[in-house]
Amino acid sequence: MIRIAEVYKYRGHECVINGVNLVIPQGTQVGLIGPGGAGKSLLMKICAGLVRPDSGSVLIDGTEVVGIGDVEMTSVRSKIGMLFQNYALFDFMTVEENIGFPLRQLGGRTEEEIRDEVNRLLLAVDLPNTQKLFPNELSGGMKKRVTFARAVIANPPILFYDDPTAGLDPVTSGKIFALLEERRARGGTTSIVVSHDILGMRDICDSFVLMDHGRIVFSGTREQIEASTRPFVGQFWRGEADD
Amino acid sequence: MTKHTQAYVAALSPTQRRIAQLGVVFVPIVTQITDILRVGSLAFYYAFKKPIRWREVLQQSFFIGNRSLAFVMIVLGFLGMILIFQSGFQAKRIVGDLQGMGALYLQLLFREFAPTVTALMLATRVGTGIAAEIGSMVVTEQVDALRMNNAEPIQYLVVPRLLASIVMTFVLSCVALCVAFGTGMFVANTVFEVNVATFYNTSLLEWGDLIIFSLKALAYGITIPIIASQAGLAAFGGSEGVGTATTMAVVNASLAVTILDFVLSGVGYIFFFS
Amino acid sequence: MQALSPSKLLSRFGAAFMAIALDVGGMAVLLYQILRCLVPPRLDGMETWRNLYKVGVKSAPIVVVTAMLTGAIMVIQSGALVAQFDAFGLLGWGAAFATLREVGPIMIGLMFSGRVGANNTAELGTMKVTDQIDALRALAIDPITYLLVPRFIAIVLMMFLLTIVGDLTALVGGAYTGQVLLGVSPSLFASSVIEYITLEDLFNGLFKAFTFGIAIAVVSSHYGMTTSGGAVGVGRSVNNSVVASAVLIFVLDYFITSILH
Repeated sequence: MIRIAEVYKYRGHECVINGVNLVIPQGTQVGLIGPGGAGKSLLMKICAGLVRPDSGSVLIDGTEVVGIGDVEMTSVRSKIGMLFQNYALFDFMTVEENIGFPLRQLGGRTEEEIRDEVNRLLLAVDLPNTQKLFPNELSGGMKKRVTFARAVIANPPILFYDDPTAGLDPVTSGKIFALLEERRARGGTTSIVVSHDILGMRDICDSFVLMDHGRIVFSGTREQIEASTRPFVGQFWRGEADD
Repeated sequence: MTKHTQAYVAALSPTQRRIAQLGVVFVPIVTQITDILRVGSLAFYYAFKKPIRWREVLQQSFFIGNRSLAFVMIVLGFLGMILIFQSGFQAKRIVGDLQGMGALYLQLLFREFAPTVTALMLATRVGTGIAAEIGSMVVTEQVDALRMNNAEPIQYLVVPRLLASIVMTFVLSCVALCVAFGTGMFVANTVFEVNVATFYNTSLLEWGDLIIFSLKALAYGITIPIIASQAGLAAFGGSEGVGTATTMAVVNASLAVTILDFVLSGVGYIFFFS
Repeated sequence: MQALSPSKLLSRFGAAFMAIALDVGGMAVLLYQILRCLVPPRLDGMETWRNLYKVGVKSAPIVVVTAMLTGAIMVIQSGALVAQFDAFGLLGWGAAFATLREVGPIMIGLMFSGRVGANNTAELGTMKVTDQIDALRALAIDPITYLLVPRFIAIVLMMFLLTIVGDLTALVGGAYTGQVLLGVSPSLFASSVIEYITLEDLFNGLFKAFTFGIAIAVVSSHYGMTTSGGAVGVGRSVNNSVVASAVLIFVLDYFITSILH
C-alpha cells in the first residue's frame, strides 16, 4: 500500500506539487493522467525516493521514505520496480546484463539462475536472441520491452511505470499495455501508471487520478470519471480541446 | 529568475537590492563548492569501502591513459620546444652562457610544468569526458535506474574514475616530463648547439622537487575526476544540460588546478626551496 | 583488446588520418566562409552585440582570477633563483617577459577555450541535434551570417582584449607576490618592467592571442556544427573541441615563436 500525505515540492518559487494526498490500496493499478507539466512523473519519482519533497510524507508498505537515509532506503527500493520514461538502459551493458542487473544487485543467485531468468523473460516480452545486443542497437519499442523486463525481473510487489508508451506507434503501445495487463492479472502487485494514452489505459487500471498544475483534480474509477459532470475532467478523458 | 523572485527584488529598497545582488553572485558559487565537497567526501568514503569494481578501475585507467597519451605528448612536446626557444635566446642575451640551462629546465619541469600542464590538459580531456559521460547518464535517467537498484551512483561511477585518475595522472605526468625534456633537449642541441650530455644535468634536483612533483600530480589526480563528476551529476534537461555540464567541468577543473598549483607551489617554496 | 593484425592496424591508422583530414578541411572551409562574410560585413548586429556581452563580460572574472594566480606562481617559481643570484632587479623583467610573450596568451587562451569555446560548441551542438539549424535554413536565414560570424567576431575580439586585461592582472599578482615572498618593492618591480620590456614583447603576445582567438572560434564552431547523436553527441563534441583548441594553441605558439625570432 502506498499512502501519500500533504506532499509539497517547489522549483524555485513555483509550486510544482501542491498538497497531494493519495492512497493506493494493496494490489491495485492506478492510472495517473493529466496534461504535460502537471507533475505526474515528479510525483512518481517522489514515491520512489528519487526526488525529495519539501514537505509531506510518503509511506510505502508502512515505511516512511521522505527523509530516510540510503541504507534504510535499500530495503524499500528492493520492493520497487520502475520503468523509466527515457528507457534508462545502461548503454555500457548488453541487453542480458541490463535485465539481470536488479537480480545481480540483490545477490543470492548464481549466474546460471540469473541467465535462465533473463532468457525466460526475454521470451515473455517477445525478444528472443537479443541477449548480446547493446541498447543502441534496438528500436524504441524493443528498448521499452527491455526496460519492462528489467523492472519486473525481481518480481517486486510495487511497480512504477513512467510513460511506458511515450513515442511509440499504436501497435507497439498495444503490446506494452498487454504486458502491463498481464502483470496486473497475476495479482498482488500495487502499481502506478503515468501516461497520456487514455485510450490504452482505460481497460488496464482499477482507478484513475487526474492531475493538473501540481494538484489532484479528480480521482475515481472509470465509471465515476465518465459520469463526472466537471468540464475539465470530461474534456481530458475524451481528448477534446478546451474552448 | 522566476517571476516571483523578480517581484520580490522589485519590492526591495536600493540598498537591500545591492546586498541581494551580492547573493546572485555568491550563492551559486558557494552551492557549487559545497556540492563538490559533498561528492568528494562521499567518493572517499566509498573508495575505502567494499566492493570496489576493480575491472571497471582497470578499464577507466585504460580509457584515461589511452585517450590522453597522444594529446599530452603533443602538447608537452611543443611546450618543451617553446620554453627552450624563449629562454635560450634570453639567456644568451643576458647571461651569455647556456651550460646551466638544462639543469634549471629539468628542475622547473619537475616543480611546475610537467605536473601542472599535464593536469590542465587532463582537465580538458578527461574532465569533459567524465562530465559528458555521467551527464548523459543523468539526463537519460540511467543514474536514477542505478539508484532504484540500490547501486549508489558515486560508488558505482565516481570511485572507479577517481582511482584510475589518481594512478594515470601520475603516470602521464612522468611521460610528460620525459617528452618535454626530450624536445627541449632537441631544440637546445639544434638551435643553440648545447651538447646533449651538458644539457642532461641532474645536479640541481633535490628530494623536494620530487616530493612537490608527486604532491601536485596526486592533488590534480584527485581533484579533476571529482569536479567533473559533480558537474555531470548536476546535469539536468536534455542535450543542453550535457553541454552545460561539460563546460562547467572544464572551467571548474582548470580553475581548481590553477589554485592548487598556487597553493602547492607556495608550500614547496616555504618548506623546501627558500 | 584483441591482437591487431598489421593490415587492421594500417586501416585504423588510415581511418584516424581520414577523420583528422576531414576535420581540418572542414575548419578551413568554415574559416573561408566566415571571412567571406566579413568583407563586406554581412552579419546580424543584435546577435553580435549579445555575443560580445556574453563572451566578454561573462568570462572576465575567470580570466582575472587565472591571470592573477599565474603571475603569482611565476614569481614563486623564479623566487629561489632570484634569491640565489641576488637578482632582485631582474624579477620584474623576467615575470613581464614570460607573461607578455608566453604565459599570458597561453593560460588565457586555455581558460578562454574552456569557458567560451566549450560553451560555443555546446550551444551550437544543442541547436544542431534539436534541428534548430535546419529550422533557420528553412526560414531562409543563413546560419553562417546569423550564428557563426557574430560568434567569430566576439571570440576573436574578446580574446584580444581579455589578454590585455589578463597581462596586466598577472603583473599585479606577480608584483604583489614578489613583495610578500621576496621583499621586492612594487616600484623596483615596475621600474624593472619599464626598463627592459619593449613594446615588441607586448605586441608579440597580442598577436598570439589574436591567432588563438581565431583558432578557438573556428574549432569550437566547427565541432558544434558537426554534432550528431543527441545528448551523448553534444558531450563528445565539446570534448573534441576543447582538446583540438588546446593542441592548436601550443602548436601555433611554437610556430609563431620560432618564426618571429
